[in-house]
Amino acid sequence: MTSEIDPVGLTAEPVTTENVRASAATWRVFRREPLGLISAAVLLGLVFVALAAPLLTPYPASYGLDVLNAPSLQYLFGTDSLGRDLLGEVIWGTQQSLLVAVAASVIAIAIGTVIAVIGAYFRRIDTFISIIVDLTLSLPVLPLMILVAALAGPSTTTIIAVIAAFSWPEVTRLVRSQALTVVNLPYVDAARLMTTSSIWIIGRHIIPAVTPVIVVSVVVTASRAVLAAAGLAFLGLGDPTTWSWGRILYEAQQSGAMSSAWWLTLFPSIAILLLVLSATLLSIAYNDARNPRNRSR
Amino acid sequence: MSRLSFILRRLSRAVVTILFAVTVTFLLLRLMPGDPALAIASPNMTDEARALLLTQYGLDKPLFVQFGLYMGQVFQGNFGTSFTQSLPVMEVLLKRLPWTLLLTFTALTLTVIVGIPLGVLAASRRGKLLDKIVQVIGVTGQSLFVPSIGVLLLFVFGLTLRWFPIGGAYSTGTYGLDWYASVATHLVLPAVSLMLIQLGSYVLTMRATLIDALQEDYIILAKANGLPDRRILWKHALRNALLPTTTLIGLQLGFLVGGAVLTETVFAYPGIGRGIYEAVTQLDFPVLQGAFLLLATTVVVANMVTDIIYGFLDPRVKTS
Repeated sequence: MTSEIDPVGLTAEPVTTENVRASAATWRVFRREPLGLISAAVLLGLVFVALAAPLLTPYPASYGLDVLNAPSLQYLFGTDSLGRDLLGEVIWGTQQSLLVAVAASVIAIAIGTVIAVIGAYFRRIDTFISIIVDLTLSLPVLPLMILVAALAGPSTTTIIAVIAAFSWPEVTRLVRSQALTVVNLPYVDAARLMTTSSIWIIGRHIIPAVTPVIVVSVVVTASRAVLAAAGLAFLGLGDPTTWSWGRILYEAQQSGAMSSAWWLTLFPSIAILLLVLSATLLSIAYNDARNPRNRSR
Repeated sequence: MSRLSFILRRLSRAVVTILFAVTVTFLLLRLMPGDPALAIASPNMTDEARALLLTQYGLDKPLFVQFGLYMGQVFQGNFGTSFTQSLPVMEVLLKRLPWTLLLTFTALTLTVIVGIPLGVLAASRRGKLLDKIVQVIGVTGQSLFVPSIGVLLLFVFGLTLRWFPIGGAYSTGTYGLDWYASVATHLVLPAVSLMLIQLGSYVLTMRATLIDALQEDYIILAKANGLPDRRILWKHALRNALLPTTTLIGLQLGFLVGGAVLTETVFAYPGIGRGIYEAVTQLDFPVLQGAFLLLATTVVVANMVTDIIYGFLDPRVKTS
């Protein structure tokens, strides 16, 4: 749920031949960008925390006696209103947040890309697709997600499906503009002379050419999915059986401890900010590195 | 293109968008697994009340007939009855709508007042320290989670410094001028939270379009004519760079409304967003459905009005 337009991150240069030399050049420039490297390290760290959660801390399910303790050496992040260790909740919440972000954005990217590329290739459907995309993007999506999630009942599957279902139009908008220029390139005409299989041309020639845009939109979509999932969970539509960062905030709000026990909000908030910010910075750094104008530096 | 046909085109686009929103809602409710009646009729209703409501929406008839009836009901403003308050949903929501409008409009105004000068400053000092700082603020702003910011402001300015009230929209028992003053002080923290999550994209867009505008030929001409830099920046470049920023307002309205839902929840602000939060807790589906349709309509109408006004201010819009 970040903004609709990110003038720094979302413009990818068209690339018609993505070869090994180009990606090596991208990596050479990327390596020199400290912000990009730090963001990549933070993301890897979060992935490690998510995967290693069972080794780091026990699942915080039971009730404790130390209710609403401020952060101390015993409880690094403090405890919540039922005496559970907040550090454990945040660590296990990382798993859920990353899972939802990755799953929802992969589904949204797959649907969004296929629809965008088909629209660009078969121009007759394109008008219809772009109208649907424009219409969806002009509606307030969060209230719609809330309605559907409430009807379907809160579960991890629901959250993933709902976020994916309303995120693909943004992907389509991004990929479509790139695909439209690719479709008109001479090598696509050449491919049309070689084969009559549209699926082959789309799969072999068009999708690879729009891959850089897809990479950027994976990151953007995933970070928006994190915010959307946290928003839904904050309103009480998260999976009540799994810890997520949004659920920690929701329970803090419900118990009335949100404003007095500052640690209950602070630590999950920092986690959300770290994940979304590092994903955004990484996509900006990748884009800058891919841009041939920056390679000569 | 004449003014009339410009207005008519924007008007028909708004109507199509609203029809689309209603269709999506209808399809979602019907294609979801589970009882479609759940969205308008409570399982706790008496059998007669439930049957009456279901025939009103024609839930026993084929899908196409249902769709027609649904459209008819929705356009009469009949969104069913709230499960928890036994009042028509429309009545419940219309009481809350002014607060949401006040909050979002204030936040939007603040965003423009703060965002445009920041973007101009950054663009005019491109590559300098100030530009870098503004860019960092812009990117960080886009990564903020509204409730986090809301609670932070609440904690610092409400609980610790006690400058502003911590929740609600006005103090009870105040009248006349005092009432307006209490509305204003209650508005500050929610509106600033909502502004902060929006600011980033406005600043970055303003900066990017202004940098482009500053490289246009007419700017070089203005410089060659010896006009002062300040005048070129604010008079010549800014006016032409405002168009993408205005378009952004339209694109961001849906996002703004989503942010308002979360902000109102944090600050117990009595708008539609807080209503949604309460409806979620009580599984009041008619309210959720009505809230989406009402917010969608508001966004579409606001977007149309902005478009038309801007079309008169900038003739390029009408031809594009």
